[in-house]
Amino acid sequence: MLQGALAGLAAGGLYAVLAVCLTLMSRLVRVVNFSQAATGMFGGFVAVWLVTETGLPIWLGSVLGVLLAGVLSGVIGWIAATWLSEADTTTRSAMTVGPLLLLISLSFILFGNKPQPFASIISGPAFTLGGVVISQVTLVTVSLAIVVAVAVRILLTRTAIGTRLRALSERPTTAELLGIPSKPLSIAVWVVTGVISAIAIVVVAPTQSNDAISLAMLIVPAAAAALLGGFKRLDLAVVGGLVLGVLSGLVAQIDEVALIRNFLPFLFIVVLLLWTQRKEVWDAAR
Amino acid sequence: MSALIIDDVAVSRGAGPVIQGVSFTLEQGRVTALVGPNGAGKTSLLDGISGVAPISAGTIRLDGTPIERLSRVARAKQGIVHIEQGRAVFPSLTVRENLSLTARTPAEVDAALARFPELEKRIDAPTALLSGGEQQMVVLARAFAARPRFLLIDEMSLGLAPVVFMRLLPIVSEIAEQGVGVLLVEQFTHLALGLASEALVVASGQVSFQGPAATLREDASLLHRAYLGGAPA
Repeated sequence: MLQGALAGLAAGGLYAVLAVCLTLMSRLVRVVNFSQAATGMFGGFVAVWLVTETGLPIWLGSVLGVLLAGVLSGVIGWIAATWLSEADTTTRSAMTVGPLLLLISLSFILFGNKPQPFASIISGPAFTLGGVVISQVTLVTVSLAIVVAVAVRILLTRTAIGTRLRALSERPTTAELLGIPSKPLSIAVWVVTGVISAIAIVVVAPTQSNDAISLAMLIVPAAAAALLGGFKRLDLAVVGGLVLGVLSGLVAQIDEVALIRNFLPFLFIVVLLLWTQRKEVWDAAR
Repeated sequence: MSALIIDDVAVSRGAGPVIQGVSFTLEQGRVTALVGPNGAGKTSLLDGISGVAPISAGTIRLDGTPIERLSRVARAKQGIVHIEQGRAVFPSLTVRENLSLTARTPAEVDAALARFPELEKRIDAPTALLSGGEQQMVVLARAFAARPRFLLIDEMSLGLAPVVFMRLLPIVSEIAEQGVGVLLVEQFTHLALGLASEALVVASGQVSFQGPAATLREDASLLHRAYLGGAPA
Protein backbone atom coordinates (compact mmCIF):
# COMPACT_ATOMS: atom_id res chain seq x y z
CA MET A 1 0.00 0.00 0.00
CA LEU A 2 2.75 2.44 0.99
CA GLN A 3 4.69 1.47 -2.12
CA GLY A 4 1.64 2.37 -4.23
CA ALA A 5 1.13 5.68 -2.47
CA LEU A 6 4.76 6.68 -2.87
CA ALA A 7 4.74 5.50 -6.48
CA GLY A 8 1.98 8.02 -7.07
CA LEU A 9 4.24 10.79 -5.80
CA ALA A 10 6.08 11.05 -9.13
CA ALA A 11 2.81 11.82 -10.91
CA GLY A 12 1.82 13.97 -7.92
CA GLY A 13 4.98 16.02 -8.32
CA LEU A 14 4.14 16.56 -11.99
CA TYR A 15 0.57 17.59 -11.09
CA ALA A 16 2.00 19.94 -8.46
CA VAL A 17 4.42 21.61 -10.89
CA LEU A 18 1.66 22.13 -13.43
CA ALA A 19 -0.72 23.33 -10.68
CA VAL A 20 1.85 25.90 -9.54
CA CYS A 21 2.18 27.10 -13.13
CA LEU A 22 -1.62 27.29 -13.50
CA THR A 23 -1.90 29.23 -10.25
CA LEU A 24 0.83 31.59 -11.34
CA MET A 25 -0.89 32.19 -14.66
CA SER A 26 -4.24 32.74 -13.00
CA ARG A 27 -2.84 35.21 -10.48
CA LEU A 28 -0.52 37.14 -12.72
CA VAL A 29 -1.99 37.12 -16.21
CA ARG A 30 -5.65 36.38 -15.43
CA VAL A 31 -5.93 33.17 -17.41
CA VAL A 32 -6.60 29.48 -16.72
CA ASN A 33 -4.24 28.13 -19.33
CA PHE A 34 -5.77 24.96 -20.76
CA SER A 35 -2.76 24.58 -23.07
CA GLN A 36 -0.31 24.54 -20.13
CA ALA A 37 0.48 20.81 -20.47
CA ALA A 38 0.00 20.71 -24.27
CA THR A 39 2.91 23.07 -24.94
CA GLY A 40 5.11 20.87 -22.73
CA MET A 41 3.83 17.78 -24.52
CA PHE A 42 4.67 19.25 -27.93
CA GLY A 43 8.10 20.37 -26.78
CA GLY A 44 8.70 16.87 -25.40
CA PHE A 45 7.65 15.23 -28.67
CA VAL A 46 9.98 17.48 -30.62
CA ALA A 47 12.74 16.54 -28.17
CA VAL A 48 12.07 12.83 -28.84
CA TRP A 49 12.13 13.46 -32.60
CA LEU A 50 15.40 15.39 -32.35
CA VAL A 51 17.02 12.56 -30.37
CA THR A 52 15.70 9.65 -32.43
CA GLU A 53 15.78 11.17 -35.93
CA THR A 54 18.73 13.56 -35.87
CA GLY A 55 20.90 11.78 -33.32
CA LEU A 56 21.19 14.70 -30.93
CA PRO A 57 22.24 13.82 -27.38
CA ILE A 58 19.28 13.39 -25.03
CA TRP A 59 20.19 16.41 -22.96
CA LEU A 60 20.50 18.69 -25.98
CA GLY A 61 17.28 17.44 -27.56
CA SER A 62 15.49 17.92 -24.23
CA VAL A 63 16.83 21.45 -23.82
CA LEU A 64 15.69 22.37 -27.33
CA GLY A 65 12.27 20.79 -26.74
CA VAL A 66 11.85 22.69 -23.48
CA LEU A 67 12.89 25.95 -25.15
CA LEU A 68 10.39 25.32 -27.96
CA ALA A 69 7.65 24.81 -25.36
CA GLY A 70 8.61 28.15 -23.82
CA VAL A 71 8.44 29.85 -27.23
CA LEU A 72 5.04 28.27 -27.98
CA SER A 73 3.73 29.39 -24.63
CA GLY A 74 5.15 32.86 -25.29
CA VAL A 75 3.36 33.04 -28.65
CA ILE A 76 0.05 32.18 -26.97
CA GLY A 77 0.83 34.80 -24.34
CA TRP A 78 1.58 37.35 -27.07
CA ILE A 79 -1.83 36.65 -28.61
CA ALA A 80 -3.52 37.12 -25.22
CA ALA A 81 -1.53 40.30 -24.45
CA THR A 82 -2.08 41.80 -27.90
CA TRP A 83 -5.71 41.06 -28.67
CA LEU A 84 -7.22 40.11 -25.32
CA SER A 85 -5.46 42.47 -22.94
CA GLU A 86 -8.72 44.05 -21.79
CA ALA A 87 -10.78 40.81 -21.96
CA ASP A 88 -12.07 39.08 -18.86
CA THR A 89 -10.56 35.91 -17.42
CA THR A 90 -13.23 33.66 -18.96
CA THR A 91 -12.56 34.92 -22.48
CA ARG A 92 -8.80 34.74 -22.10
CA SER A 93 -9.06 31.21 -20.67
CA ALA A 94 -11.40 30.07 -23.45
CA MET A 95 -8.84 31.27 -25.99
CA THR A 96 -6.29 28.76 -24.66
CA VAL A 97 -8.53 25.84 -25.67
CA GLY A 98 -7.62 26.72 -29.29
CA PRO A 99 -3.86 26.11 -28.87
CA LEU A 100 -4.64 22.97 -26.81
CA LEU A 101 -6.58 21.42 -29.69
CA LEU A 102 -4.13 22.77 -32.28
CA LEU A 103 -1.11 21.24 -30.54
CA ILE A 104 -2.83 17.86 -30.08
CA SER A 105 -3.84 17.81 -33.76
CA LEU A 106 -0.41 18.93 -34.89
CA SER A 107 1.28 16.25 -32.83
CA PHE A 108 -1.02 13.62 -34.39
CA ILE A 109 -0.06 14.87 -37.86
CA LEU A 110 3.66 15.15 -37.19
CA PHE A 111 4.32 12.30 -34.75
CA GLY A 112 1.30 9.98 -35.00
CA ASN A 113 -1.10 9.05 -32.23
CA LYS A 114 1.05 6.42 -30.55
CA PRO A 115 3.06 6.89 -27.35
CA GLN A 116 6.49 8.37 -27.99
CA PRO A 117 9.75 6.58 -27.17
CA PHE A 118 10.88 9.04 -24.51
CA ALA A 119 14.37 8.25 -23.22
CA SER A 120 14.84 8.70 -19.52
CA ILE A 121 16.85 11.74 -18.53
CA ILE A 122 16.69 10.65 -14.93
CA SER A 123 16.23 7.05 -13.81
CA GLY A 124 16.94 4.67 -10.99
CA PRO A 125 16.29 4.75 -7.25
CA ALA A 126 17.18 7.79 -5.18
CA PHE A 127 16.85 6.31 -1.69
CA THR A 128 14.81 3.86 0.37
CA LEU A 129 12.21 5.01 2.89
CA GLY A 130 10.74 2.44 5.29
CA GLY A 131 11.61 -0.31 2.87
CA VAL A 132 10.03 1.55 -0.04
CA VAL A 133 12.18 2.72 -2.91
CA ILE A 134 11.86 6.38 -3.87
CA SER A 135 12.84 6.95 -7.48
CA GLN A 136 14.97 9.83 -8.71
CA VAL A 137 12.06 10.96 -10.90
CA THR A 138 9.84 11.25 -7.80
CA LEU A 139 12.52 13.16 -5.96
CA VAL A 140 13.12 15.56 -8.85
CA THR A 141 9.46 16.30 -9.59
CA VAL A 142 8.46 16.82 -5.95
CA SER A 143 11.55 18.98 -5.37
CA LEU A 144 10.85 20.94 -8.55
CA ALA A 145 7.28 21.66 -7.40
CA ILE A 146 8.42 22.88 -3.99
CA VAL A 147 11.38 24.86 -5.34
CA VAL A 148 9.24 26.57 -8.00
CA ALA A 149 6.52 27.45 -5.47
CA VAL A 150 9.04 28.86 -2.98
CA ALA A 151 11.01 30.70 -5.67
CA VAL A 152 7.86 32.25 -7.11
CA ARG A 153 6.73 33.37 -3.66
CA ILE A 154 10.10 35.00 -3.01
CA LEU A 155 10.04 36.62 -6.45
CA LEU A 156 6.55 38.03 -5.93
CA THR A 157 7.05 39.33 -2.40
CA ARG A 158 10.71 40.33 -2.25
CA THR A 159 11.61 41.75 -5.65
CA ALA A 160 10.70 44.86 -7.62
CA ILE A 161 9.65 42.81 -10.62
CA GLY A 162 7.38 40.72 -8.39
CA THR A 163 5.71 43.87 -7.06
CA ARG A 164 5.17 45.04 -10.63
CA LEU A 165 3.70 41.67 -11.63
CA ARG A 166 1.28 41.77 -8.66
CA ALA A 167 0.28 45.32 -9.55
CA LEU A 168 -0.35 44.29 -13.14
CA SER A 169 -2.48 41.35 -12.05
CA GLU A 170 -4.67 43.55 -9.84
CA ARG A 171 -5.19 46.65 -11.98
CA PRO A 172 -3.58 46.26 -15.41
CA THR A 173 -4.73 49.64 -16.74
CA THR A 174 -3.61 51.51 -13.63
CA ALA A 175 -0.25 49.74 -13.77
CA GLU A 176 0.22 50.75 -17.39
CA LEU A 177 -0.68 54.35 -16.52
CA LEU A 178 2.27 54.26 -14.11
CA GLY A 179 4.56 53.15 -16.93
CA ILE A 180 4.70 49.44 -16.08
CA PRO A 181 4.99 47.56 -19.38
CA SER A 182 2.31 44.90 -19.19
CA LYS A 183 2.93 43.12 -22.48
CA PRO A 184 6.58 42.05 -22.05
CA LEU A 185 5.99 41.14 -18.40
CA SER A 186 2.92 39.07 -19.26
CA ILE A 187 4.70 37.27 -22.10
CA ALA A 188 7.63 36.56 -19.77
CA VAL A 189 5.24 34.85 -17.34
CA TRP A 190 3.87 32.72 -20.18
CA VAL A 191 7.37 31.76 -21.34
CA VAL A 192 8.63 30.89 -17.86
CA THR A 193 5.59 28.76 -16.97
CA GLY A 194 5.82 27.08 -20.39
CA VAL A 195 9.47 26.18 -19.75
CA ILE A 196 8.80 24.91 -16.21
CA SER A 197 5.85 22.77 -17.36
CA ALA A 198 7.90 21.32 -20.20
CA ILE A 199 10.80 20.42 -17.88
CA ALA A 200 8.44 18.49 -15.59
CA ILE A 201 6.76 16.72 -18.50
CA VAL A 202 10.04 15.74 -20.18
CA VAL A 203 11.31 14.32 -16.88
CA VAL A 204 8.16 12.31 -16.07
CA ALA A 205 7.00 11.32 -19.58
CA PRO A 206 9.20 8.16 -19.81
CA THR A 207 7.52 6.74 -16.69
CA GLN A 208 3.87 7.15 -17.64
CA SER A 209 1.37 7.14 -20.54
CA ASN A 210 2.96 9.50 -22.98
CA ASP A 211 0.70 9.76 -26.00
CA ALA A 212 -0.41 13.26 -26.99
CA ILE A 213 -3.84 13.08 -25.35
CA SER A 214 -2.56 11.66 -22.06
CA LEU A 215 0.11 14.32 -21.71
CA ALA A 216 -2.04 17.26 -22.87
CA MET A 217 -4.84 16.17 -20.54
CA LEU A 218 -2.53 16.37 -17.53
CA ILE A 219 -4.18 19.78 -17.35
CA VAL A 220 -7.20 18.10 -15.67
CA PRO A 221 -5.47 16.78 -12.52
CA ALA A 222 -3.29 19.90 -12.48
CA ALA A 223 -6.39 22.11 -12.51
CA ALA A 224 -7.93 19.98 -9.75
CA ALA A 225 -4.77 20.50 -7.68
CA ALA A 226 -4.74 24.25 -8.38
CA LEU A 227 -8.38 24.40 -7.33
CA LEU A 228 -7.39 23.35 -3.80
CA GLY A 229 -5.59 26.68 -3.55
CA GLY A 230 -8.39 28.49 -5.35
CA PHE A 231 -5.92 29.26 -8.20
CA LYS A 232 -4.38 31.74 -5.74
CA ARG A 233 -2.28 29.85 -3.19
CA LEU A 234 0.89 28.21 -4.43
CA ASP A 235 1.43 26.11 -1.29
CA LEU A 236 -2.01 24.53 -1.53
CA ALA A 237 -1.49 23.92 -5.24
CA VAL A 238 1.60 21.86 -4.37
CA VAL A 239 -0.27 20.01 -1.63
CA GLY A 240 -3.19 19.39 -3.99
CA GLY A 241 -0.92 17.91 -6.65
CA LEU A 242 0.89 15.63 -4.22
CA VAL A 243 -2.34 14.48 -2.53
CA LEU A 244 -3.90 13.71 -5.89
CA GLY A 245 -0.82 11.76 -6.95
CA VAL A 246 -0.73 9.76 -3.71
CA LEU A 247 -4.47 9.05 -3.92
CA SER A 248 -4.06 7.85 -7.51
CA GLY A 249 -1.25 5.54 -6.39
CA LEU A 250 -3.33 4.20 -3.50
CA VAL A 251 -6.45 3.63 -5.58
CA ALA A 252 -4.42 1.77 -8.21
CA GLN A 253 -3.37 -0.70 -5.49
CA ILE A 254 -6.93 -1.64 -4.54
CA ASP A 255 -8.59 -3.81 -7.18
CA GLU A 256 -12.14 -2.99 -6.06
CA VAL A 257 -11.71 0.74 -6.63
CA ALA A 258 -8.93 0.78 -9.21
CA LEU A 259 -11.49 1.72 -11.84
CA ILE A 260 -12.07 5.16 -10.34
CA ARG A 261 -8.42 6.10 -10.74
CA ASN A 262 -9.13 7.88 -14.02
CA PHE A 263 -12.05 9.75 -12.48
CA LEU A 264 -10.14 10.82 -9.39
CA PRO A 265 -9.39 14.40 -10.55
CA PHE A 266 -13.05 14.82 -11.44
CA LEU A 267 -14.16 13.57 -8.01
CA PHE A 268 -11.52 15.79 -6.40
CA ILE A 269 -12.93 18.82 -8.27
CA VAL A 270 -16.55 17.99 -7.41
CA VAL A 271 -15.78 17.49 -3.72
CA LEU A 272 -13.75 20.72 -3.56
CA LEU A 273 -16.46 22.72 -5.31
CA LEU A 274 -19.16 21.30 -3.04
CA TRP A 275 -17.05 22.10 0.01
CA THR A 276 -16.06 25.63 -1.02
CA GLN A 277 -19.59 26.48 -2.14
CA ARG A 278 -21.30 24.89 0.88
CA LYS A 279 -22.34 28.22 2.40
CA GLU A 280 -23.49 29.83 -0.83
CA VAL A 281 -27.13 30.63 -1.32
CA TRP A 282 -28.25 29.59 -4.79
CA ASP A 283 -29.43 33.02 -5.96
CA ALA A 284 -26.53 34.91 -4.41
CA ALA A 285 -23.91 32.58 -5.88
CA ARG A 286 -25.41 32.80 -9.36
CA MET B 1 8.89 75.28 -19.99
CA SER B 2 7.21 72.08 -21.14
CA ALA B 3 3.71 72.18 -22.61
CA LEU B 4 1.07 69.59 -23.43
CA ILE B 5 -0.97 70.85 -26.36
CA ILE B 6 -4.39 69.35 -27.00
CA ASP B 7 -5.54 70.38 -30.48
CA ASP B 8 -9.08 69.76 -31.77
CA VAL B 9 -9.23 66.41 -29.99
CA ALA B 10 -12.25 64.09 -30.11
CA VAL B 11 -12.72 60.86 -28.17
CA SER B 12 -15.26 58.32 -29.37
CA ARG B 13 -16.78 55.39 -27.57
CA GLY B 14 -19.04 53.00 -29.43
CA ALA B 15 -21.37 54.82 -31.82
CA GLY B 16 -19.86 58.29 -31.92
CA PRO B 17 -17.78 60.99 -30.28
CA VAL B 18 -18.31 61.47 -26.56
CA ILE B 19 -16.35 64.72 -26.64
CA GLN B 20 -14.99 66.67 -29.59
CA GLY B 21 -13.33 69.86 -30.70
CA VAL B 22 -11.28 70.27 -27.53
CA SER B 23 -8.21 72.49 -27.76
CA PHE B 24 -6.14 73.81 -24.89
CA THR B 25 -2.60 73.96 -23.62
CA LEU B 26 -1.52 72.52 -20.31
CA GLU B 27 1.54 74.30 -18.95
CA GLN B 28 3.88 73.11 -16.26
CA GLY B 29 3.36 74.72 -12.88
CA ARG B 30 -0.30 75.59 -13.52
CA VAL B 31 -3.57 73.94 -12.54
CA THR B 32 -6.33 73.76 -15.14
CA ALA B 33 -9.79 72.81 -13.91
CA LEU B 34 -11.96 70.71 -16.19
CA VAL B 35 -15.55 70.85 -14.97
CA GLY B 36 -18.97 70.11 -16.34
CA PRO B 37 -22.08 68.07 -15.72
CA ASN B 38 -22.06 64.26 -15.48
CA GLY B 39 -21.71 62.56 -18.87
CA ALA B 40 -20.14 65.62 -20.50
CA GLY B 41 -17.04 63.67 -21.54
CA LYS B 42 -14.49 64.81 -18.95
CA THR B 43 -13.24 61.31 -18.09
CA SER B 44 -13.16 60.36 -21.78
CA LEU B 45 -10.96 63.37 -22.50
CA LEU B 46 -8.53 62.37 -19.74
CA ASP B 47 -8.56 58.81 -21.09
CA GLY B 48 -7.73 60.15 -24.55
CA ILE B 49 -4.82 62.22 -23.28
CA SER B 50 -3.28 59.41 -21.23
CA GLY B 51 -3.93 56.71 -23.84
CA VAL B 52 -6.55 54.66 -21.99
CA ALA B 53 -8.87 55.37 -24.93
CA PRO B 54 -7.73 56.25 -28.46
CA ILE B 55 -8.58 59.71 -29.73
CA SER B 56 -10.66 59.74 -32.91
CA ALA B 57 -9.57 63.17 -34.14
CA GLY B 58 -7.02 65.88 -33.41
CA THR B 59 -3.49 65.80 -32.09
CA ILE B 60 -1.77 65.75 -28.72
CA ARG B 61 1.71 67.24 -28.63
CA LEU B 62 4.22 67.12 -25.83
CA ASP B 63 6.93 69.73 -26.37
CA GLY B 64 5.99 69.78 -30.04
CA THR B 65 6.17 66.01 -30.51
CA PRO B 66 2.93 64.18 -31.39
CA ILE B 67 2.16 61.55 -28.77
CA GLU B 68 -1.37 60.50 -29.68
CA ARG B 69 -0.14 57.27 -31.27
CA LEU B 70 2.04 56.31 -28.32
CA SER B 71 0.90 53.60 -25.90
CA ARG B 72 -0.26 54.59 -22.43
CA VAL B 73 2.97 53.10 -21.04
CA ALA B 74 5.08 55.26 -23.36
CA ARG B 75 3.05 58.36 -22.44
CA ALA B 76 3.53 57.60 -18.74
CA LYS B 77 7.26 57.33 -19.33
CA GLN B 78 7.15 60.77 -20.99
CA GLY B 79 5.80 62.14 -17.71
CA ILE B 80 2.03 62.09 -18.21
CA VAL B 81 0.52 60.49 -15.11
CA HIS B 82 -3.20 59.81 -14.97
CA ILE B 83 -4.96 59.30 -11.62
CA GLU B 84 -8.15 57.44 -12.43
CA GLN B 85 -11.55 57.87 -10.84
CA GLY B 86 -12.11 56.02 -7.58
CA ARG B 87 -9.25 54.76 -5.46
CA ALA B 88 -6.75 53.33 -7.88
CA VAL B 89 -4.61 51.47 -5.34
CA PHE B 90 -3.30 47.96 -5.74
CA PRO B 91 -5.14 46.38 -2.81
CA SER B 92 -2.79 43.54 -1.88
CA LEU B 93 0.31 45.70 -2.16
CA THR B 94 1.48 47.52 0.95
CA VAL B 95 1.76 51.30 1.02
CA ARG B 96 5.52 50.97 0.56
CA GLU B 97 5.09 48.63 -2.41
CA ASN B 98 2.55 50.98 -4.02
CA LEU B 99 5.03 53.84 -3.73
CA SER B 100 7.97 51.75 -4.90
CA LEU B 101 6.18 51.17 -8.21
CA THR B 102 7.02 54.72 -9.24
CA ALA B 103 9.77 55.83 -6.86
CA ARG B 104 13.21 55.05 -8.15
CA THR B 105 15.01 55.26 -4.82
CA PRO B 106 14.09 54.86 -1.13
CA ALA B 107 14.72 58.61 -0.82
CA GLU B 108 11.90 59.24 -3.30
CA VAL B 109 9.60 57.03 -1.22
CA ASP B 110 10.53 59.12 1.83
CA ALA B 111 9.93 62.36 -0.08
CA ALA B 112 6.46 61.16 -1.10
CA LEU B 113 5.71 60.09 2.47
CA ALA B 114 6.82 63.46 3.80
CA ARG B 115 3.71 64.99 2.22
CA PHE B 116 1.48 62.41 3.90
CA PRO B 117 2.75 61.70 7.44
CA GLU B 118 -0.48 59.76 8.07
CA LEU B 119 0.81 57.02 5.78
CA GLU B 120 4.06 56.43 7.64
CA LYS B 121 2.45 54.42 10.41
CA ARG B 122 0.63 52.28 7.81
CA ILE B 123 3.64 51.87 5.56
CA ASP B 124 3.66 48.06 5.68
CA ALA B 125 -0.10 47.55 5.69
CA PRO B 126 -1.89 46.28 2.57
CA THR B 127 -3.66 49.26 1.03
CA ALA B 128 -6.93 47.30 1.02
CA LEU B 129 -7.01 47.83 4.80
CA LEU B 130 -6.63 51.61 4.60
CA SER B 131 -9.50 54.11 4.82
CA GLY B 132 -10.75 55.77 1.66
CA GLY B 133 -8.87 58.96 2.42
CA GLU B 134 -5.65 57.09 3.14
CA GLN B 135 -6.02 55.14 -0.10
CA GLN B 136 -6.39 58.38 -2.04
CA MET B 137 -3.29 59.68 -0.24
CA VAL B 138 -1.41 56.60 -1.45
CA VAL B 139 -2.56 57.31 -5.00
CA LEU B 140 -1.43 60.94 -4.81
CA ALA B 141 1.87 60.03 -3.14
CA ARG B 142 2.50 57.38 -5.79
CA ALA B 143 1.79 59.88 -8.56
CA PHE B 144 4.08 62.43 -6.90
CA ALA B 145 6.86 59.83 -6.63
CA ALA B 146 6.57 59.26 -10.38
CA ARG B 147 7.93 62.81 -10.87
CA PRO B 148 5.26 63.68 -13.42
CA ARG B 149 5.49 66.57 -15.84
CA PHE B 150 1.73 66.54 -16.25
CA LEU B 151 -0.77 65.11 -13.82
CA LEU B 152 -4.32 64.26 -14.88
CA ILE B 153 -6.58 63.87 -11.83
CA ASP B 154 -10.07 62.46 -12.28
CA GLU B 155 -12.66 63.10 -9.52
CA MET B 156 -10.32 62.82 -6.59
CA SER B 157 -13.18 63.60 -4.20
CA LEU B 158 -15.32 60.67 -5.32
CA GLY B 159 -16.54 58.75 -2.27
CA LEU B 160 -14.51 60.85 0.19
CA ALA B 161 -15.80 62.86 3.11
CA PRO B 162 -15.44 66.61 2.39
CA VAL B 163 -13.04 67.04 5.31
CA VAL B 164 -10.75 64.38 3.85
CA PHE B 165 -10.94 65.92 0.40
CA MET B 166 -10.08 69.35 1.84
CA ARG B 167 -6.97 67.76 3.36
CA LEU B 168 -5.88 66.49 -0.07
CA LEU B 169 -6.66 69.53 -2.18
CA PRO B 170 -3.73 71.73 -1.01
CA ILE B 171 -1.37 68.88 -1.93
CA VAL B 172 -2.45 69.28 -5.55
CA SER B 173 -1.44 72.96 -5.38
CA GLU B 174 1.90 72.04 -3.86
CA ILE B 175 2.54 69.49 -6.60
CA ALA B 176 1.76 72.13 -9.24
CA GLU B 177 4.07 74.64 -7.53
CA GLN B 178 6.88 72.16 -8.04
CA GLY B 179 6.49 72.57 -11.80
CA VAL B 180 3.87 69.96 -12.62
CA GLY B 181 1.04 70.83 -15.02
CA VAL B 182 -2.21 69.63 -13.44
CA LEU B 183 -5.49 68.96 -15.23
CA LEU B 184 -8.06 68.58 -12.49
CA VAL B 185 -11.47 67.05 -13.14
CA GLU B 186 -13.65 67.68 -10.11
CA GLN B 187 -17.31 67.56 -9.15
CA PHE B 188 -16.80 70.24 -6.47
CA THR B 189 -16.63 72.97 -9.08
CA HIS B 190 -15.93 75.92 -6.81
CA LEU B 191 -13.12 74.14 -5.01
CA ALA B 192 -11.52 73.22 -8.33
CA LEU B 193 -11.90 76.76 -9.66
CA GLY B 194 -10.43 78.11 -6.44
CA LEU B 195 -7.32 76.06 -7.04
CA ALA B 196 -6.96 76.56 -10.79
CA SER B 197 -5.61 79.38 -12.87
CA GLU B 198 -7.34 78.21 -16.05
CA ALA B 199 -10.70 76.52 -16.52
CA LEU B 200 -12.58 74.56 -19.14
CA VAL B 201 -16.25 73.79 -18.89
CA VAL B 202 -17.53 70.97 -21.06
CA ALA B 203 -21.18 70.25 -21.65
CA SER B 204 -22.73 67.71 -24.01
CA GLY B 205 -19.33 66.74 -25.39
CA GLN B 206 -18.26 70.28 -26.34
CA VAL B 207 -16.24 72.99 -24.64
CA SER B 208 -18.70 75.67 -23.52
CA PHE B 209 -16.23 77.89 -21.68
CA GLN B 210 -12.48 78.29 -21.77
CA GLY B 211 -10.57 80.99 -19.96
CA PRO B 212 -9.31 82.19 -16.60
CA ALA B 213 -10.76 80.29 -13.65
CA ALA B 214 -11.24 83.61 -11.84
CA THR B 215 -13.78 84.69 -14.46
CA LEU B 216 -16.00 81.73 -13.61
CA ARG B 217 -15.43 82.10 -9.89
CA GLU B 218 -16.62 85.68 -9.98
CA ASP B 219 -19.55 85.24 -12.35
CA ALA B 220 -21.94 82.52 -11.18
CA SER B 221 -24.37 83.14 -14.04
CA LEU B 222 -21.59 82.56 -16.58
CA LEU B 223 -20.76 79.27 -14.85
CA HIS B 224 -24.42 78.23 -14.90
CA ARG B 225 -24.75 79.06 -18.59
CA ALA B 226 -21.56 77.18 -19.37
CA TYR B 227 -22.86 74.11 -17.52
CA LEU B 228 -25.95 74.26 -19.72
CA GLY B 229 -23.77 74.59 -22.80
CA GLY B 230 -24.72 78.20 -23.47
CA ALA B 231 -21.63 80.29 -22.72
CA PRO B 232 -19.24 81.18 -25.54
CA ALA B 233 -16.12 79.01 -25.67
